[in-house]
Amino acid sequence: MRLNIPDRYLDLAPWVIATLFIAGIVHVVSVLLMPSVAPRDALARLTTYVKSAAPAEGLVLLPQMAPGAEMLPFEDPALAEAVCVYDLAKGPLRVKTSVDGEDYLGLSFHASAGRIYHSMTDRSAIKGKIDIVVGDARQIDALASADEGDAPPPQEVRLTAPTKRGFVLIRSFAKRPSDQERARNRLSAITCQRFDLPQG
Amino acid sequence: MAPLTASYVSGGSASLDLKPYANYLRAGSVMIAGLIIGLLVTVLSLNAGYGFNSLRAGPWTAWPHTGAADIDPYARAVVARSGEAPLGRDQGLAFIARTDSNGAPLNADCEYRIVDPLPSARYWTIALASPDGRLLANSAERYGYSSVDVLRKEDGDFEIDVAREARPGNWLSPGEARDFVVMLRFYDTSLDIDSSPDPNSFPKIVKLGCA
Repeated sequence: MRLNIPDRYLDLAPWVIATLFIAGIVHVVSVLLMPSVAPRDALARLTTYVKSAAPAEGLVLLPQMAPGAEMLPFEDPALAEAVCVYDLAKGPLRVKTSVDGEDYLGLSFHASAGRIYHSMTDRSAIKGKIDIVVGDARQIDALASADEGDAPPPQEVRLTAPTKRGFVLIRSFAKRPSDQERARNRLSAITCQRFDLPQG
Repeated sequence: MAPLTASYVSGGSASLDLKPYANYLRAGSVMIAGLIIGLLVTVLSLNAGYGFNSLRAGPWTAWPHTGAADIDPYARAVVARSGEAPLGRDQGLAFIARTDSNGAPLNADCEYRIVDPLPSARYWTIALASPDGRLLANSAERYGYSSVDVLRKEDGDFEIDVAREARPGNWLSPGEARDFVVMLRFYDTSLDIDSSPDPNSFPKIVKLGCA
């Protein structure tokens, strides 16, 4: 049996295949490039806000959510939020607070380009304390080699961030709308500070 | 005159003139068509959700992998474009409903009732949002309920009415918006994200009627 396909369709076949091939490449490249070219991703939005807020670094409380005044889309209005935007080129970062074991506190560590490399809640606090050090691979190595020999093992959790820039988003749950103030006070008690590596 | 006429006749139609360039033209249109199709597929796939590995339970859908380091490239592209910061996987889980329990798209001209049950979690919240994730302005300035402040019946069950006009009991209003979505968020949940959840353990969104 012979397929009866006119020659001019067969002539077009390579061009159709080429079109689909290029379409495939364009699709894959555009999806992969999107995180690095998207102008208004979460890091960009938060960086803009933090720069306009009074302290340029450390922990910055986000305004209470209201229609038209949301910092980020798809956030729960029951949360009070604070952010710590960092650049590890200036040094490692320490996030520290104590928790009361009753109220929900969530910490998520975001690299640039939309990846969360660590997340936790107050449930995983150690002895009522959250003490997290964020650094790049070199900084974490330096801290580990400084530990050797002396002193008790560190109580802190050390995270290696995949990118130099990123942010820590801290969410404090207000069980009722009237608890917002309390939830915000819990956020104010958190410190997020850059520190210097030990010498040596 | 005679030779001129002859050359005019032989080169008379445009296709003959372009014949040496036909392959270049085809290559050009292949490039342009490929570019357009490729970008179109990107836009369509990014509008379809947050990539692979979604959890579905009745009208509710969650993408737990958006909250972890193994997020897939499609989800990363969607998250970067919308500017959201997803909930971390170890913090909780956020479900979104764009339809009612019968699969009909949610319409702010209609009234809905969200009813028990709910899977176990330390806290949960149910809130309305616009399809692009903004809060909906409404006269009550109430955007959601939590497991703590929702009013319960004597047996512990609850109902939340979604309507433009005020309702007794738990009431959420989409305000003047035309479309809305319902967000269901769990904080510190033991829900297993590797197996598909039981739809019967999730709240129903029942349409009561339309204006």
